[in-house]
Amino acid sequence: MENMKPETGSDCGYKCGMLPMCAPLATSWVPPQGENPPMYTPAEALNRGTLFPGLDLPFMNMVNKTNPYAGTPLGELMALAFMVKELQLYLDTHPDDKDAFKALRDTLALKKEANERYVKLYGPLKIEDLENADRYSWLDGPWPWEYCERMGK
Amino acid sequence: MFSYIKSLEYPVKIRNTNPALAKFIISQYGGPDGELAASLRYLSQRYSLPTPELRGLLTDIGVEELGHFEMVASIIHQLTRDMTPEEIKKAGFDTYFVDHTAGVYPQFASGTPWTAATIGVKGDTITDLTEDMGAEQKARTTYDNILRLSDDPDVNNVIKFLREREVVHFQRFGEALGKTLEKLDQKNVYYMNPSFDK
Repeated sequence: MENMKPETGSDCGYKCGMLPMCAPLATSWVPPQGENPPMYTPAEALNRGTLFPGLDLPFMNMVNKTNPYAGTPLGELMALAFMVKELQLYLDTHPDDKDAFKALRDTLALKKEANERYVKLYGPLKIEDLENADRYSWLDGPWPWEYCERMGK
Repeated sequence: MFSYIKSLEYPVKIRNTNPALAKFIISQYGGPDGELAASLRYLSQRYSLPTPELRGLLTDIGVEELGHFEMVASIIHQLTRDMTPEEIKKAGFDTYFVDHTAGVYPQFASGTPWTAATIGVKGDTITDLTEDMGAEQKARTTYDNILRLSDDPDVNNVIKFLREREVVHFQRFGEALGKTLEKLDQKNVYYMNPSFDK
């Protein structure tokens, strides 16, 4: 199988992981994801629900090709925030993966810029965003759960 | 502490009112394998965990689940906006409506209110992580079932996203369990409870 070939830090391909040769009875094991796994772009990751092609296991092959905010300033920010979240969970169980940590730092820098661009155009996403605001715009709509034709802008 | 970000993790933008879908999707808000149960399970279990790595992982996944709780609420809110009494009766949403109108209440699809009886906090590292893996699988199955029942693409986009998160969380809990097992006495990993015995 194509995807069984070794391509990453794991010896058995990015869709598989290495289990211990010998493990105690009466224990359950999940193959750990190998280091330096292949990653989607931030926008693609948000559509798919994971940053990692190896973990992308859709039900009956139903996958999202896009999302309602794709190509908007909020969509760009959401994609970067999602990449940060995925790298954070990955690093929680792979804290020594230096490439993933570098990817986290780079993504955090991009997210900071995207956040600043969004706030300048559309208002605060967190209370700290009011630091240089001219009025208390925290209450301006829409709130995230509201249906809005222009949402994402 | 927690602080609020005025944005969802994945966008919820549902064009058509459809209380018939809200009737069963509400289970992922306050049902037995829903997002509230997930969040409170992990955020409550983390206090007895023995390592910084485990405390970090359960905090980070528990916080994400709280965001999913808000996403499912957004689906319910948008599916029930501007609904008419005729639509409510036709959808069979009347039993919910009479108690909660168009409010979003954490309950099972069957009407039972959210209950902590559906979550486990055992205070044992292996037991709690094994429960968490089971919980992620149960939530995934629930999302699979929702995808079988819902024909609204605006809803299904969000459900597909949430379903995939269950797969990723299962992987991370499994990796955390493996790291825990490796540190224990390999002749008898059940010699003691790593959350309680030092």
